[in-house]
Amino acid sequence: MSVLITYLIPILGSTVYTATPLIFASVGGAYSVRGGVMALGLESMMMCGAFCGVVGSYYTGSVAIGFLSGILGGMLIALLHAILCVNFRVNQVISGVGLNLLATAMTTLLMQVIWGNKGTSEMVASVEGTLGGPIPILNAQSFNFFVMVAVVALGWVLLFKTRYGLRLRMVGENPKAASAVGLKVHALKYSGVLICGALAGYGGAFLSLDQLNMFVRGMTAGRGYIAVAITILGRYNPVNIVLSALLFGFCDAVQIYLQGQGIPAQLIQMLPYAATLIVLAVGVRRIQPPAGVGQHESD
Amino acid sequence: MEAVQMRSITKWFGSLCALDHVDFSVREGEIHSLLGENGAGKSTLMNVLYGMLPCDEGEVLIHGKPAQIRHPSQAIELGIGMVHQHFMLTPVMTVTENVIVGGEPVNGPFVDYRSAVRQVQEMIDRYHFGIDANTKVQNLSVGEQQRVEILKALYRGANILILDEPTAVLTPQEVQELFAVLRDLKAAGKSIIIITHKLKETAAIADRVSVLRSGKMIDSGLEASRCSVNDLALMMVGRKVDLTFTRRSQCVGQVAFEVQNLNLAVKGVPVLKNLSLKVRKGQILGIAGIEGNGQTELIEVLTGLRRPDSAVILKDGKPFSGNASDFLTAGVGHIPEDRLSRGLVTPMSIEDNVILGYHRRPRFAGKGIRRSADIRAFADEKLAEFQIKAETVQTPCSALSGGNQQKVIVARVFSEDPDILIAAQPTRGVDVGAQEFIHNRLLDLRDEGKAIVLISADLDEVRRLSDRVAVIYDGRIVAENDHDVWDEMELGLLMTGGKGGVTA
Repeated sequence: MSVLITYLIPILGSTVYTATPLIFASVGGAYSVRGGVMALGLESMMMCGAFCGVVGSYYTGSVAIGFLSGILGGMLIALLHAILCVNFRVNQVISGVGLNLLATAMTTLLMQVIWGNKGTSEMVASVEGTLGGPIPILNAQSFNFFVMVAVVALGWVLLFKTRYGLRLRMVGENPKAASAVGLKVHALKYSGVLICGALAGYGGAFLSLDQLNMFVRGMTAGRGYIAVAITILGRYNPVNIVLSALLFGFCDAVQIYLQGQGIPAQLIQMLPYAATLIVLAVGVRRIQPPAGVGQHESD
Repeated sequence: MEAVQMRSITKWFGSLCALDHVDFSVREGEIHSLLGENGAGKSTLMNVLYGMLPCDEGEVLIHGKPAQIRHPSQAIELGIGMVHQHFMLTPVMTVTENVIVGGEPVNGPFVDYRSAVRQVQEMIDRYHFGIDANTKVQNLSVGEQQRVEILKALYRGANILILDEPTAVLTPQEVQELFAVLRDLKAAGKSIIIITHKLKETAAIADRVSVLRSGKMIDSGLEASRCSVNDLALMMVGRKVDLTFTRRSQCVGQVAFEVQNLNLAVKGVPVLKNLSLKVRKGQILGIAGIEGNGQTELIEVLTGLRRPDSAVILKDGKPFSGNASDFLTAGVGHIPEDRLSRGLVTPMSIEDNVILGYHRRPRFAGKGIRRSADIRAFADEKLAEFQIKAETVQTPCSALSGGNQQKVIVARVFSEDPDILIAAQPTRGVDVGAQEFIHNRLLDLRDEGKAIVLISADLDEVRRLSDRVAVIYDGRIVAENDHDVWDEMELGLLMTGGKGGVTA
């Protein structure tokens, strides 16, 4: 019992806390993929969201405006991705990877411009403290926990219960069929990608404004790629995405806990990434993505 | 009253004129057949009507009113529905979801699935479509999927229905069912346009006929009852072709190729089950069947591309085995069922493709180095012999039409003078002229005393060319007999496993 309280409860609290940004990004990824656009650019959307979140907070001193800027930052990258993939029919993998490289470079450059420092930003107004209270695990979260729950619930309802969701999924499964029944394929794809950008941007801002209070160069550190894996493992369904994100969050939490326990840190830090590899190699094989990913309404 | 009037429609694809001042009109409540060969412009014309393609010139009137149709949604609003040749369905979704998308009944912010299912099921029952609105589309047969497509159009209030090659994928029984459905719809006052190149079906179902040839309307609005099939063929092709002509084998010899007890499982699922067949010299064995009953795997085994789990393969009475290259070397020629995936390397030139697989022969290569001049001369000769329409032999195969691509394959296979030929879908998607040419070459080869296995989804082709007909169903040969024993309907029944196997 005492072991539970000393070790497990804090690890679980930390699991949810580290999984939260992944859930934001992965649910965003679900919108994008359900609409037929690969979400490989999640890393760049998170990165841009984290950066713009800090910039917004830095100039206004308001955390709320910081998060709003984070959303817009993610959407900016998403807009680029949508223009490239939907209008110009660029290979979605190339567009995604290209944007990821662009985001790292751009944020570094802009940090130099704004703060005269390529490594870290100045400290900015951020989310203060946790909820606290008597409920274990929940007391280690911030208000963003509820935002996350709302995003997941809303995502599930929107994707599977509403007219918009049915249409978006139809576009993702078969854009030609969707076009033939008169759906606005481009508009729907844009909506999926932009929602993805907004959520991934929020997830990024969570990293810089909730977990931290500044932007650090390359701060997403591959979380966007992990979010891609989570999106797939969660079968593009927000509810399943929560479960798979918690799995990765748990690896991360264990990793943090194990640091300073005498095991080489580099080895331990591999844990979430190794988990990604194992999941991709073993778990993902039987998952069918929407059939129309990467297809266009007139090929 | 005219439901559709298209006036002087012109459409260019680059420098190619796909439609040249085409006039076309359809009356309310009639079934109108739009007849033409592949590439004549039928689908292009209908895609213009449905708003999938913009036209460069011309106007469209729907029920007498001028209409600007730039997007399918506008066509749908005008009451036009289209059933595409390649179904536009989402297999993982249900019939209802596929039907309602774009016009969903809602209850507040949510899709009202309950009333949607009820509505769709009512329509299914009214038109006797015999499917369940809650089934996933991937669990439906091809004929049923087609009815889902028709439902989609009807759900959107279509009173003008365009069907693009609706019978191409159906068995004879399903064709009859479709015709019954179409007559029902006509009785309900719908105007129906059928795009087709099948003359028999036009005669069977259409009230009027319009014939397109290379983008020009040859004749429009003919009464179907007054035209003979031969008149229509003449209009469609522009010269006399006789697709009913055939000649039968004069001398059938020894068994040239035999397969016994062929078993094959793919990913643990048995695909070919104790299958046996044999073909004699100077004989064409036609294998009829609905696609997906093991034909693809059978072809792969017969050409050495796939190793069976168990089988005895006898060539001229002697056991034989090996890989695809061994089969080719031993004189087993192969016309692959999908010319783009197994037949050609399309970015490569005609001369490279016409020696593909035989490129190690001494006459094409010496000490591992290709003999360019010899290959060129050989390819030039084949270009003339097989009437392949291309500027030079260096033209990449991707620039050729389907018929000419197929001729490149036929030229390659025939020039090696195979003892045994596995011909899979030899005329799929080629124009009538090329079809006639390829059929004649197959019959010539047969008359030279070679053995041919013909695997085709085109029942007319099987019946016309074969000396013996075998029916494959669920990985077995369920029946085999001489070519004239079964009529089309009986064959259709055998193909669906609907009749006990008879082998004589």
